[in-house]
Amino acid sequence: MRWGMVINLAKCMRCHACVAACRIEHFLPMDITWVKLIAYEADEGGVVDVSTYPVRCNQCADAPCVHACPTEASHQREDGIVVIDSDKCIGCRYCVVACPYQNRTFFSKGKDPGYFPGYKRTKFEEKGKKLYPHQRGTTEKCNFCVERVDAGMELGYRPGIDRDATPACVNTCQARALTFGDLDDPDSNVSRLIRDRKGFQLRAEYGTDPSVYYIDYRLGGAPSNKAPREAQTGSHIQHLSSVDRDAHRRIFGREPGDTEVTS
Amino acid sequence: MKAQTRRQWIVTHEWMVKPMRQKEWISGKGVLVWLAEVFSALGMGTYLVGLLAGVGEITTWAWWATVLGWALIVAFKLPLHLIYLGRPLRFWRAIPPFTKAWKTSWLARGMFFSIVFTGTGFLQIVFWYFLHWGDLSASAADTLTVLSWIVGVVAGVFILLTGVYCGFAMSYCKSLPFWNTGLLPVVFVIMGIADGLALTMGVNLITGGSDADIGSLEFWSRILLVVNALLIAGYLVRAYRKHSAAELAAQDLIKGSTAWVFWILLVILGIVTPLVISLITMVMSGNTEPLLIVAIVCHTIGAFALKYSVLKVGIYRSVLPGVG
Repeated sequence: MRWGMVINLAKCMRCHACVAACRIEHFLPMDITWVKLIAYEADEGGVVDVSTYPVRCNQCADAPCVHACPTEASHQREDGIVVIDSDKCIGCRYCVVACPYQNRTFFSKGKDPGYFPGYKRTKFEEKGKKLYPHQRGTTEKCNFCVERVDAGMELGYRPGIDRDATPACVNTCQARALTFGDLDDPDSNVSRLIRDRKGFQLRAEYGTDPSVYYIDYRLGGAPSNKAPREAQTGSHIQHLSSVDRDAHRRIFGREPGDTEVTS
Repeated sequence: MKAQTRRQWIVTHEWMVKPMRQKEWISGKGVLVWLAEVFSALGMGTYLVGLLAGVGEITTWAWWATVLGWALIVAFKLPLHLIYLGRPLRFWRAIPPFTKAWKTSWLARGMFFSIVFTGTGFLQIVFWYFLHWGDLSASAADTLTVLSWIVGVVAGVFILLTGVYCGFAMSYCKSLPFWNTGLLPVVFVIMGIADGLALTMGVNLITGGSDADIGSLEFWSRILLVVNALLIAGYLVRAYRKHSAAELAAQDLIKGSTAWVFWILLVILGIVTPLVISLITMVMSGNTEPLLIVAIVCHTIGAFALKYSVLKVGIYRSVLPGVG
């Protein structure tokens, strides 16, 4: 079993919902972000277009950060997820330097000014510090919501299929641009997407074998890189119209066509 | 307003799209890593030169050179590394047997090398002290000589490893093409030994060593400076040929914002000046001490400049394929 993610760049509508979901799920300090959107500007014939690409820790099968870590704080689980044991991390930042994708962040004092700098912390922040304590002086990164995956699987849920065992960003993506599943299972949703839609990894030439794949739009240089916003919105609408009634009720609390009751 | 500008998750137009400098090991608190690496090279060079100089006959200046080299590692390199850590009190977790990461991690290996050197280097210094100044019986002197040889060899090997591991730790990073070469540890070691020779010359001057010894140290310093100048030139040529990000780093070093460190502090002060001085003192008669002091200072400035410039121009490749 090896958990992986497929990101459909055509569907991504740059709403930053995955970024926000990750922030809330893990009570991330103000200046730390595990999931990021890279904005890429391309100028073609005087028309500047900006495309965004969601990036997060690639959970590489041959992870340079794991090899670099001097304390084994960064280690790889059997299911392929690379996690950091904050109690073991000494904060040497070698993993930050060694990560070819720059998806690790060192949690320094300056990165936690509070959501409202200069004011008292909110109750949400206080609660977050107890529920998900982040240790200053250690390194952090996306962990594929490993706590959700583990807790959900214990209850019999299937990651990537059932929301309770699926990463928060995947659940939240309103365009359904993110798909989570088992890369080792040839019949899984992610394996099929990679196979049918020619999924590719970022900088595969490093030989790190990332578990995050991208489909539908090639990154960098290619004309298709600049997915027009209209096309993305179009594919989003198309996706929403294809959602069955049960799923619609689950997501929006009502079926399509129902009149919204307002008081 | 200041907090707003820090919100990188909204404004990301540059982040990893264009080649970006590494900052963790040179900016802010990262300066400590730079300084620690410099002291690592200086300590390695000075200790090794002192050790090799005292192999035949233990001299006062050779003993002081080993003391200085050992002190640079123990009193400067290791504390600076510790201060840099986000969680310094957990440093023991990086030391075998508390970790098995030494199989893959150069930092864990480096920690191990430094600690072994700290112990064996100290013993060697103590043994040499008694052999040089102690009033020992013949049998005790023989035993101590054997012991000093054993710990001396171990300390010598481990100080070399201590000096070389940081080069390997940096060259391991595939994402930084300028660093990602086996030539980097070689440059660091050769430069470290050359700088060690300079510091040993200083020790020699202070402790009243002979002119012949200084001449010998200068001879080796001359050779290593020429070798290192060629290595650095080869390194830059390789960077130009290897990858666009490495080329960018080399350009930054030669004509960019780091050029003044490279040309003035490293090339002119760190390599050319000591080389010219050593050539002058070869033919000059009379008091050469002032010139030697200038050469030693220039050498040491060069040691700081080399590590600074290499760390400063570590440039990441973009994560987007086809974008540099």
